[in-house]
Amino acid sequence: MNSDAVMSRVSRLAYRCLPVCCAALFGLAAHTQAADQTWRLVGQLTADERALFDPATSTPRDAALPYAPAEAYPFKPPYTAEEMGYRAAEFVHIARWPHSLIDVFGVITSSGYINQGAGVSYVMLSTPAGFDGYLRGVAAGQVYSRWSIYSVFPPETEAEQQLWVPYRTDAKNRTKMDFFVYSPQLRRVRRQPQPRRDQRFPDNAQTFDDVIGRDPWEFDWRLLGADIVHQTVRFPNTRPTITLNSAKSGFVERQTSDLKPMGDDYPHYRPDGGVDCWVVKAVTREDLLPDYNEKTLIYWLDKHYFYPVRMEKYDHEGKLIMIEVRNAVLENPVRESMGYSAQMTVYWDLEHDIMSYSVHDAHRPHDWTAEEQAMIFTPEFMRRQWLYEPIKSQALIGDPKHYFLRPQLYRERFPDARRIELSPALAERYAAQEAAGQLIFESGGGDATAAP
Amino acid sequence: MKQPPGLRAWLFAATCLAPLSVPATEVANVLSKFDRAMATFNPLGEHVRKPIERAVPRLTFRGALRQWSDVLIDTDDRVGFREQDFRFLQLQNLLELETFYNFAPGLDLNAVTHALYDGVYDWQHSDGLFADKLDRTAEIYDNSERILREFYLSWRTPGFDLMVGKQQVIWGKMDGQFIDLINGMDRREFVQLESEDFELRRLPTWMVNTTFHFGRNSLQMLYIVDFEQDRQPLPGSPWFSPLIPPTTAASDILLPTKRVESGDFGDHEFGLRLDRSAGALTYGMIYAYLWDKNPVGHAIGTETRGASTLLRIQPRHERLHHLGVTADYATTLQDMPWMGTLPAVFRIEALWTKGVRFADFNKLAAARAGGATDGTAQHDTLRAAVAAEFGLPANTTMILQTSYYHTFGWNPALGFGFGGGFGDEWSLIPLLFLSRPFAFTRDRLSANFTAFPVISGPDNGWQGIKTKLRVRYKFSQFISGQLIYNGYDSGDRNDLYGQYDEWDNFGWELSYEF
Repeated sequence: MNSDAVMSRVSRLAYRCLPVCCAALFGLAAHTQAADQTWRLVGQLTADERALFDPATSTPRDAALPYAPAEAYPFKPPYTAEEMGYRAAEFVHIARWPHSLIDVFGVITSSGYINQGAGVSYVMLSTPAGFDGYLRGVAAGQVYSRWSIYSVFPPETEAEQQLWVPYRTDAKNRTKMDFFVYSPQLRRVRRQPQPRRDQRFPDNAQTFDDVIGRDPWEFDWRLLGADIVHQTVRFPNTRPTITLNSAKSGFVERQTSDLKPMGDDYPHYRPDGGVDCWVVKAVTREDLLPDYNEKTLIYWLDKHYFYPVRMEKYDHEGKLIMIEVRNAVLENPVRESMGYSAQMTVYWDLEHDIMSYSVHDAHRPHDWTAEEQAMIFTPEFMRRQWLYEPIKSQALIGDPKHYFLRPQLYRERFPDARRIELSPALAERYAAQEAAGQLIFESGGGDATAAP
Repeated sequence: MKQPPGLRAWLFAATCLAPLSVPATEVANVLSKFDRAMATFNPLGEHVRKPIERAVPRLTFRGALRQWSDVLIDTDDRVGFREQDFRFLQLQNLLELETFYNFAPGLDLNAVTHALYDGVYDWQHSDGLFADKLDRTAEIYDNSERILREFYLSWRTPGFDLMVGKQQVIWGKMDGQFIDLINGMDRREFVQLESEDFELRRLPTWMVNTTFHFGRNSLQMLYIVDFEQDRQPLPGSPWFSPLIPPTTAASDILLPTKRVESGDFGDHEFGLRLDRSAGALTYGMIYAYLWDKNPVGHAIGTETRGASTLLRIQPRHERLHHLGVTADYATTLQDMPWMGTLPAVFRIEALWTKGVRFADFNKLAAARAGGATDGTAQHDTLRAAVAAEFGLPANTTMILQTSYYHTFGWNPALGFGFGGGFGDEWSLIPLLFLSRPFAFTRDRLSANFTAFPVISGPDNGWQGIKTKLRVRYKFSQFISGQLIYNGYDSGDRNDLYGQYDEWDNFGWELSYEF
């Protein structure tokens, strides 16, 4: 059962009965809350958790990189909140190792308008793999990676290509990337301005920084507490299976109910399937990110590897504006705990009630030869309209009713740090979705009753 | 029976306001159902493309259906030498089919076919539109040359590309044509032809196209055996210039254009392009030895008819040497007022052309008087553009581009020539482009605005301004629609845009891709 619904019912019950037998029900309510409450503030951490957490907010700095902790990455326990933030930066949307995949993505509006795409993506690195390679393997202002994307769906954008050439950045070197686009309609490679970092892509809930990742030194970090997450990406009851392209075994049909937040190989699930998480708050540093649209980010980081299974964004008024949830998979076993990467991600923009998804299908670590690196990852290569290694996917959504559910709100968790305000219409749609187990569009009832 | 004006106004208001009486939720429900129905509406994709690709796995088959129409806003009138007794400037319907067959890794056969029908000649009664009688392709593509647009074999290896066949090759990165000069163009829309139309209007030619790739460099070489000239608006077509007088008995005698022969090795064309990318900067150079796509009339003799001496004019294409450069540079401007950082790209492109042939009216007069001249003159020209593109907040894009055209050694007796000023020594187009989507429509609605003012000197000065407002709406991932307004304002009747002062038009475009 959905924990939001549980808490809501408990609250209503307690409120109604309070005048009658306050003392007795206080005990019952407290017991119920204690049994269901998954989250704890810092002061409520267990002894084991306290042993893993260093509350220090000022630690020695690295001599060469004064914005980074002096302790060698990936750090040793106990971890400061800042170190947790650095560890989480290991797991950006695009895995920090050379690979290929097909990115299937889409957006849906509250009316059921759906727009999807698929692009074959190749990623090469000019640094060693991992966040440490990004941090220390290349000087700020230098290119650290190259991403080539070849669109294969929809027909309107077929053969459109993009080349992202991201830079290692710091306070002085702010350019995030060189950006080239090839349009088959124009048959020209055009260098484009890099997208604004905090701005939604058109027709999408994702921002540029959601894709490229944020540097942890641009934020002040604080631990809010601990929590347990049981579900991240949620499928509707209209979509019992999904066909995924496994690099090892090809197309495999999976029961959507079997998909877990950290994949099948994660060894630290709780007996009930939950993932123990740290919950950390990152506040934008005005000196480094002036006028940044997102004031605060709250991350749910898996307690063992610091994988961000959930992230929330808050604006300058403190209001929740976006929720991102991920299903990760151990895509690169050679890198062990750092070999996890997002297989499915859902982004929900609450302001406009648009929801995007991204499925990284057929992920395969890929050592590009020197010849391939020199050939594929250049603007000139795009003019050749050469899909170098075709990759296929069947993860596109065939019907708006099969779209992912909006992520859970967890209204009751960390209420002092999380301001959640939904418009009445959105609250209604969210409640209808929770009741029906599928998205309910503005036409409402007809579809709700039609739900299986 | 004549209705009283009050009743008519009431009926009009009632008709307009009627939808407001329907509950908003009902409207939302209908729109929602429409959205969900459209989400999966792709009949040709499902019932044509998929079965074909399933039956022939090595074949990629895709296509598009497009309908676009432009309607004149201004009243019918006589404009210059034209009878503007028509409303529709185009009623075009295009079916495009693309097929790619993969024989082996890196080896493909590519074919693009077009079927076009323009209803402007059939679907409105007009004496001013008769171009379809002069050239059937103005109305419908009825020959293999137009239907089979592209057909080439491509072979790609890591360091080498070879493409042999009928194809289009596009050089340059700017809006407009600066070093993009390989293929001819169907310019039936004349001043309304813009970059986004080039793909459909270019005239592919038979050629051998090779590219060598080494490191961050590439070197492209073209050997073009077939020549396609530009197709300018025909007399009796919607965009035929109102400045051009009709042919009369007193007109000079125009002979057939001297053809460039595909079978003659001496008539073949060549091109070279070198590109290099170096981080934030990419740049390239081109050289091409091509025919001028538009012939220039040479006076080859005179005839006396009554009291008049008429010139015998033979249009000929001229060999031209072109040398061009292109470069772009990206940066992020810091600490900008109101917006913090400002991503920006700067582009530059220039083409110098040697020995462009111009009609010279002084020499033509001399030829008419019996002088030993063919009535033409040769001058070098330069066309260039500098552009800055900015990524503004709210997904707004702004482009400022200044295009410049210059004729070296110009004199007032010269006509038009490739790359030069528009009937003047120099011409300047300081273009402004703004584009943004609207979040309240979940970015499905977007709008862009472009202004193209033209200034020329030293003679003409202001030559008018063209403005374009385009609103695009995405119905689904397969279907989109656009509404477009094009306005031509100010300038004299003899100016580039001024002559089309009565051609303000409103249009729509529907596109379905499968």
